Amino acid sequence: MTEARRKENDQPALLDTELEHLPPELRWREWMGRVEAVIFAASAPVPREMLVRIIGKNCNLDLIIDDIRAELAGRPYELVSVAGGWQHRTKKAFADAIRAATGQVDMGRSLSQSEVLVLMCIAYFQPITRGELTAFFGKEVSRDLIGVLRSHDFIASGPRSPTPGAPYTYVTTKMFLSQFGLDTLRDLPDFEALEDAGLLSKEQLLAGNVSLGLGGVGEADQSED
Amino acid sequence: MPAWAQPDGPVANDVDAAFYTGAALGTLDGLVRSEPEWAGSWRQRLALKCAVAAVRLAGRSEEEAALRDAWYLRPSGGDPGPAGSILGAWRYLASRPPAIDAEGLAQVSEWLGLRPDGAYGKLAETVEELAAGDRPAPLAAAAIASYVVARRPDAELLAWWLADLVLARKLRWPRPVPLLAAQLYSSAFRSGDGRGKRVRPGDPAFERAVCVALAVGAGDGLRLALDIARRADRLAAATPKLRAKGAGEAIRRLLDDDAVPSSLSTRNLSRFAARRLFERLQTFEAVRELSGRASFRLYGL
Repeated sequence: MTEARRKENDQPALLDTELEHLPPELRWREWMGRVEAVIFAASAPVPREMLVRIIGKNCNLDLIIDDIRAELAGRPYELVSVAGGWQHRTKKAFADAIRAATGQVDMGRSLSQSEVLVLMCIAYFQPITRGELTAFFGKEVSRDLIGVLRSHDFIASGPRSPTPGAPYTYVTTKMFLSQFGLDTLRDLPDFEALEDAGLLSKEQLLAGNVSLGLGGVGEADQSED
Repeated sequence: MPAWAQPDGPVANDVDAAFYTGAALGTLDGLVRSEPEWAGSWRQRLALKCAVAAVRLAGRSEEEAALRDAWYLRPSGGDPGPAGSILGAWRYLASRPPAIDAEGLAQVSEWLGLRPDGAYGKLAETVEELAAGDRPAPLAAAAIASYVVARRPDAELLAWWLADLVLARKLRWPRPVPLLAAQLYSSAFRSGDGRGKRVRPGDPAFERAVCVALAVGAGDGLRLALDIARRADRLAAATPKLRAKGAGEAIRRLLDDDAVPSSLSTRNLSRFAARRLFERLQTFEAVRELSGRASFRLYGL
């Protein structure tokens, strides 16, 4: 934690990043240790820029990450790349054990089927207003439901729609990418298929030409550290 | 632009293409260097045209009007959505000097919706090398695009973004003029008589396609500039008739940006005053309403 804090105070000069005095193997181990420590101490995915600051100029961060991953191979947690950064997460296989031990309900699991559906619809067709969502689902998408998604920080307000009342549209956040284990929006399932069919547009959506392949929607990766 | 500087039909070989692009860029160069007062609005409108093609390349379906809405109706500092962010990247290109470092590249890639990657430092160095090298500007632009796509086939958006930056750098323009991406789906980038497959960066005919696209793009840019210059003159003629106190700043914004929302409010101009001002300008035919709506209006040259 101290290391992370020192970095945020913008005093990188205090940290010897090149480690010239160490033999190459030890130097590599020290860099690996630093990178893993920073990722471990952070509560959110750590972006590449932050990690580059603590290792030497000629050091390849990807190789470091690969080595850390190889070392973690047998452990119950792993280093995953999400939302443009890296994070330690427990492996999915242990989700049941964690839930049984802590009695904690997984955030992803606490979303109901309809909330997940609305969230997926926003992800594919953002920016989209509540009115347009209501028109698509054929039943009212309530303010409460939007509120639930917002309280999880999965969606945020985008531009206002130029329609009567100037309702806010909704867009997904980095938190959404991180929770569902996606790197970019293009990683959404079947994004390319929808794109090839020319269906990735709100007009098509409202004209009723889109089915989202709703069977698979609830199965997205929801593991958490 | 003289008519002989524009290709009329498919260009058969590299030398012809190089001639056209040289002549067209030479003509455009005079305009860019004279830096007229409406240059901001011209650049931003070209950025919008590029963003429309880029959004299409990203597989989305937003058109010009939707992009403009996403950008101008977002809350200040808010997220304009994935398509709006792509427009944001091209607006960023058009509004800053043509230099980029690793951090800037990471930011732009995020706007373009690309997977982050570790080699931005190397990429920034390559941009510097090409800018300092002795290849002519259009070929340097083609080289950077091919380089980006060869390393990351999914980052074609970034390739086009950097191509315009390198071009401006080589031509020593104070700010880049977004030209190339707008031609993405034109016949310049079609193989075989302009009807075949799209020529992608790294293809054998790519350098020739970039030259032709630049010639056509420069022609389009000049035509747009003529149109905007005419409108800016009309705006200048109407300015003395305005009585609003804060009119000067509104005029400045019109000349600097693609569009100005009618709800503009500044220190000297309330949003009601701004609305009256724009309506009066419209009666002088000095500005146009760009969205075609009766509400949430966007005004521009």
